[in-house]
Amino acid sequence: MTLSISKAAAVGTEARAAPRRRTLNIAIDAFLLLFCVLMILPLLFLVANAFKTPQEILAWPPTIIPQHPTLNNFFAVIGSTPLLRWIGNSIAFACLSSLCIVATSSIAGYILAKFKFRSLHIVFLIVLATAIVPFEVYMIPLYFQAQKLGLLNSTWGLLLGYLVMSFGIFLIRQNVVHAIPDELLEAARIDGAGEFWIFLRIVLPLLRGALAALAVLAFFQAWTAFAWPLTVATTQDSYTVEVGLALFQTGYTVDLGRLSAASALVLVPSVTLFVFMRRHFVQGISNSGLKE
Amino acid sequence: MLERRRWLFAVAALTPTLAIFAWVRLYPIIETLRLSLFKWDLISKKQPFIGFANFSQLAGDQRFQQALLNTTVIAFGVLIITVPLGMAIAGLIHYRMGSRLASIFETTTFIPYVVSLVPAAMAWKWIFDARLGPLNAFLGLFGISPLPWLFDPMLSVVCVIVLCSWQALGYAVLIYIVGFRNLPVSLFEAARLDGASGLQAFWHVAIPLLKPITLYVSVVTLVSGFNVYAQAYVLASDSQGAPGRQVRVLVMDILDNAFRNYKVGYAASEAVVMLAIVLLLTLVQFSLLRERGAK
Amino acid sequence: MMETDQNFRLSSTARRLGQAGLTVAALLLGTAAVRAEQITVWSGYPEMAPFYQHVADGLKAQYPDLTVSVQAIQLRDHEKRVALGLSSNSAADVLELEIGTATRYMQNDLLAHAPADVVSFVQDPKNFNKFFGDAGTMNGTVYGVPLFRGQSALYYNTDMFKAAGIAAPPKTMDDFTTDAAKLAQRDASGNLKTSGWSLRLSGGGQGIAEKFWINMFQYGGNVAVEQPNGKWKMTLDTPEGIKTLSQYLQVVWGDKADSVEFPADSDAFERGQTAMFIRESWVIGDIAQKAPNLHYATSTLPMGSIVSPVDLFVTGQGKKADEAWAFAKAAASPENQLWMLDHVGWLPNRAGLDYSALLAKTPQLAAFVQLPADYKFFSLPNIAPEDEFMTGIADRLTNAFADSSLQGHPDKIENVLKQTSDAAADVLKQNDLLDE
Repeated sequence: MTLSISKAAAVGTEARAAPRRRTLNIAIDAFLLLFCVLMILPLLFLVANAFKTPQEILAWPPTIIPQHPTLNNFFAVIGSTPLLRWIGNSIAFACLSSLCIVATSSIAGYILAKFKFRSLHIVFLIVLATAIVPFEVYMIPLYFQAQKLGLLNSTWGLLLGYLVMSFGIFLIRQNVVHAIPDELLEAARIDGAGEFWIFLRIVLPLLRGALAALAVLAFFQAWTAFAWPLTVATTQDSYTVEVGLALFQTGYTVDLGRLSAASALVLVPSVTLFVFMRRHFVQGISNSGLKE
Repeated sequence: MLERRRWLFAVAALTPTLAIFAWVRLYPIIETLRLSLFKWDLISKKQPFIGFANFSQLAGDQRFQQALLNTTVIAFGVLIITVPLGMAIAGLIHYRMGSRLASIFETTTFIPYVVSLVPAAMAWKWIFDARLGPLNAFLGLFGISPLPWLFDPMLSVVCVIVLCSWQALGYAVLIYIVGFRNLPVSLFEAARLDGASGLQAFWHVAIPLLKPITLYVSVVTLVSGFNVYAQAYVLASDSQGAPGRQVRVLVMDILDNAFRNYKVGYAASEAVVMLAIVLLLTLVQFSLLRERGAK
Repeated sequence: MMETDQNFRLSSTARRLGQAGLTVAALLLGTAAVRAEQITVWSGYPEMAPFYQHVADGLKAQYPDLTVSVQAIQLRDHEKRVALGLSSNSAADVLELEIGTATRYMQNDLLAHAPADVVSFVQDPKNFNKFFGDAGTMNGTVYGVPLFRGQSALYYNTDMFKAAGIAAPPKTMDDFTTDAAKLAQRDASGNLKTSGWSLRLSGGGQGIAEKFWINMFQYGGNVAVEQPNGKWKMTLDTPEGIKTLSQYLQVVWGDKADSVEFPADSDAFERGQTAMFIRESWVIGDIAQKAPNLHYATSTLPMGSIVSPVDLFVTGQGKKADEAWAFAKAAASPENQLWMLDHVGWLPNRAGLDYSALLAKTPQLAAFVQLPADYKFFSLPNIAPEDEFMTGIADRLTNAFADSSLQGHPDKIENVLKQTSDAAADVLKQNDLLDE
């Protein structure tokens, strides 16, 4: 009841403030637009490089718009490398990793947030500590493990390093703290609901946004992974995209034209997947109506 | 008792995740850290135990100290830029969430995070170029003489900070947007009725409520900052222009010691020191941004 | 409301799971297919991949059902995977390694011993100069088959030399300094427009130390010298060292013919931003691709050059190893070696090759293959801590080059060299390699 009255009052004030609001909106849009252009500027450069001949890439200062644009770099990349296969490998790997990470992080994050047992505090601390050590550093023992299990050169070996994400668990924990009040859970428990039902029917839906974000982050963490895939997958066909792109760095120089062309091509599925994933879940959120 | 049932559920639900965790994270990390007490050159079968000898050598290692200093500066630099800017940009994007442009804003902010580093860094090498880069040209408009961004010992660190922040911002914005979306609308309504302007509502209502999210972004950004490696490596490469000054960072030192100097035990001791420092900083952040119980 | 959301979410999850499952199945099926006889080759130079393919094609007649999988990745990561692979017995069949990197593995006997026919092939002086034949040998055991080498020469822009009135490329180190000063060009505001001599003044890794050593060698000096007892003596803090560092400082701060932030190396040369620089043979191919209209020539260095041999090594035993050795021998055949020089640009280690056809096409190769009889060579130390040793020197030299206060002060220069030498000696000492 009180909600609808205050809502009506709010709408009233909104109507009066409409023109001012529109100016503010335009100002914010303009600012954000400028900001985004600045963020993207280096990438326009990358795309420009993709269309340049080797001679023109050499030029310094570099030209923003290629004077003699060529599609040779793209043809070379598509013709002489299994780029599509690499993209396929990356997508499969990233999807599997993302699923695994979302599953493990959601349940672990929830429990570490809401179940206040002493020992779980220590567990959480250990989880955090493992996130601090960079992957490249503890890669060696993991590599030997993979080798002993015969997992080298396979998707499972690749996944071995990307099954869980310490920061994923941390993210869900923080979002549970941020968005799920204890009272809600207590009320459900008093009503006789089982723990698992509470997790599935109450917690997960409220975490939708965070899970979506985590899925995206886990996906792109796997997408841009380099050190581990390089070590584990050694046949050219089984490379992920990031490893494949490294082939364009020769002994002493970087084949910038082809590398830029390949990177530009890879940006297409990257951006598409990102937009797809975000829109997919944003729709889910806006369908759920008002919070509380 | 209810308590016991909850405990059983917690254990049962956590065990599969923790098992995988122990296998692919805990075991390799403990193995690596254990090596800090040994001497191993990666290829011989024997690993003699040498106690804390690695650590005492580390204390006097000038290169390690340089790397530690550089890395700390970079990490905090990225933190100071990314967290406030990420929150602000996310707030603005969230404010415009209804419009069509919002999704474009979110996507373009995120793209630097996923693009391949090497070709993107070439653009930055040009931007920072001492003679011909647009940055110096822009500064020249204000009468500032050209600076050797990529070569000066201190300015080259700034270059790394800028490159890292550019990439990290999208991550922070994404997380903050989720946080903003989960904010209870009613509190803002109440604030507006009380006469608070949008900015005041943001400062006094949103920011405190976002503490758990800020804690996350802050910890992750600082840890990623300490893990900086590829960005420092690529700015010193000799493609285009002159090779920039090599900014020594911790992970680079660790990997060099492990794979090029074949001193795996020594590298592990560096990793232990890094872990201790960053863990301490993380705990500090936790106490500074402590959540206020149940809402 | 909640109901539809629930279904929406579950169905999307289910869909994703289904997709994932299908992809996994497809991938697993895909990878199970390849089963033919195959040897793998690991290389640290992606530009060599076509060469290895070419060698593999040549083997088809003798080994019809053999396939060769070439996996070339940039050097730094290649070294990492070799380290991991060799220590866990999961390395490729054929490994291309610089001798410096391979030393440690040879010392620990982690590479396969060459069979008798390969040993006689490598040790035959008609096939390989003794220096290269011995490079892949340790404690009397032959491990590697010589493949190619890095070797330096001077590249210079003939147009600029003509314009500056310099008739011939520099023949002594003093010539280098005077020529550099003459060749440097400045714009209206006095800023450097073209550097007279592009020196390696910044950047990561050991490159700076390596280039410094090349210059020092021309003065008759060395950074360190191996003693008869196998240990090493530092010779950096010597008159030759002082002359070398003084020359760097003279060029950069005295004559201002080059500067730290000025574009450098092959890119600068190809753009016409520098008149001359010292580099390896791969630049020739690079120029052909990026600056085909550049008028340039090459010349030998005053005293001699660095030589960095790269060999092919084999892991394992049995039938695969036999095929691997056959591959290594084939890569060193005269026909393949010339193909490599022509298409990739690295210098063959095979002796007695007929370069006339290639020289007719690319006369600039002469400075690399037609050498004066008294041309001297040196290699970087074949010691286990080679990288640490050189990188430490490189770090200190970087700071020295950027320090204008050193120029014209031989005492300060000597001080810097002494500190650098002492630090490097420490590295040797830690590894029990310092000759006391």
